[in-house]
Amino acid sequence: MSEESSSESARKLVLPGDLMETKSKPGRGIFRKDGRVHASVVGHSIDKSGYINVNGIKGRYNPKTGDKVIAVCAETGPSVWRMDIGASFNSTLHHSESGWKVPFGDTARFLAIGDAVWAEIFMVDAAGSHQISLKKDDCRKLYSGTIVRINPTNVSRVIGKQGSMITAIREKTQTRIQIGQNGYIWIDGKGDDISRAQEAVEMINKESTSKGLTKKIEKLLEK
Amino acid sequence: MAGQTDMELIKNGVRLDGRKPDELREVKIVAGVLDNADGSCYLEWGNNKIYAGVFGPMECHPRHKQKADRAIVQARYTMAPFSVNDRKRPGLDRRSSEISYIVSQAFEKVVMVEEFPKASIRVDMQVVEAHAGTRCAAMTAASVALADAGIPMRDMIPACASGKVNDIVVLDLNKEEDNYGQADLPLAIIPSTGEVVLLQLDGHLTPDQFEEAMDLATNGCMDLYEKMRAALENRYGGSK
Repeated sequence: MSEESSSESARKLVLPGDLMETKSKPGRGIFRKDGRVHASVVGHSIDKSGYINVNGIKGRYNPKTGDKVIAVCAETGPSVWRMDIGASFNSTLHHSESGWKVPFGDTARFLAIGDAVWAEIFMVDAAGSHQISLKKDDCRKLYSGTIVRINPTNVSRVIGKQGSMITAIREKTQTRIQIGQNGYIWIDGKGDDISRAQEAVEMINKESTSKGLTKKIEKLLEK
Repeated sequence: MAGQTDMELIKNGVRLDGRKPDELREVKIVAGVLDNADGSCYLEWGNNKIYAGVFGPMECHPRHKQKADRAIVQARYTMAPFSVNDRKRPGLDRRSSEISYIVSQAFEKVVMVEEFPKASIRVDMQVVEAHAGTRCAAMTAASVALADAGIPMRDMIPACASGKVNDIVVLDLNKEEDNYGQADLPLAIIPSTGEVVLLQLDGHLTPDQFEEAMDLATNGCMDLYEKMRAALENRYGGSK
């Protein structure tokens, strides 16, 4: 998702079942019936370069291969961890994808329930189950810090154009922030700084549709 | 129906609460009232007060209820002990299990269940105050809550009852009409296609009266549909 959608003139609120008057091909948030396309979720319709999409306003995270997410351990098995990534189902992290040498049955020593990781989704199958991996790029276990959960559709708002919003928050609060595509945001720093950054992120999540958000956030962080 | 009364429920075309035979009670719908649920709705319909909350799609429990190729809708209708005059014993009873079941069946027709194999979509409806027509009101609230949760659906389903009092077919029965009237016909439709997803009949109607009652309830559903749309547009800021 990109920020330029807000400058589109064809942006319109649609509700489930609404008929879309368009010749474009159906994309996301759309279903076809009798050769015509309808919206399937509450969201904004965007008709661009031959495709019509409806960007849902709410809804659970839909995992995609290659997405970087923050995952929280929900369950441990003898050789796997079940990780909460805010999707419909918990994600599996197999010990062979962890980068650690895990003795059988000793998974909890490496990652206990409640521990968080920065991971990549490396497999999604047709049945909707998915696996994450720690063996990619900068994936790792997250120590200290706090996790804020926001609506996954607001992730692009928190990042801002070319990362403007997140850079502003990072600089003003002196915190380390990592944003998962699943709407889980990890913030680390000094206690007071964390809560200021958290406040800013939560405000963006709440007022994601309002105009001049960057200015509002800057004002909030000046205090 | 069960109750007997000499009361004149409709006089010169005006009902006890001052409505015309084809008039709905006042309906107020607010979407997204609860923070913890994925989607929610509060609905006031006459004196009915109902909350609906939606969770999911999520892993289906118990596991044996999972469907390998689609999601299931697990609806749960409950009445608060203080929702009626005589304190209602809390928990599921025969009536609420029936309503939960038919509502689940109705929603599986519109929710795109095939997109979420093995998942479950939980719809909880809590009647806080009851004044006849709660199954329709609960269903309407649940529809809005499902849309608010961002769950893909083919359409939203409004539900509305019609019935018969003093041999006149009327729309949207109130408490007295429901208790002492002659028939009650709850109906839920898919507005875009006109398909019926819920239809029950309690009491007696002649074939002609049945047709009339169906037409009346269908019109009631369409009116309600506009109100549901307005509630969601209000919540999400309308066209931009």
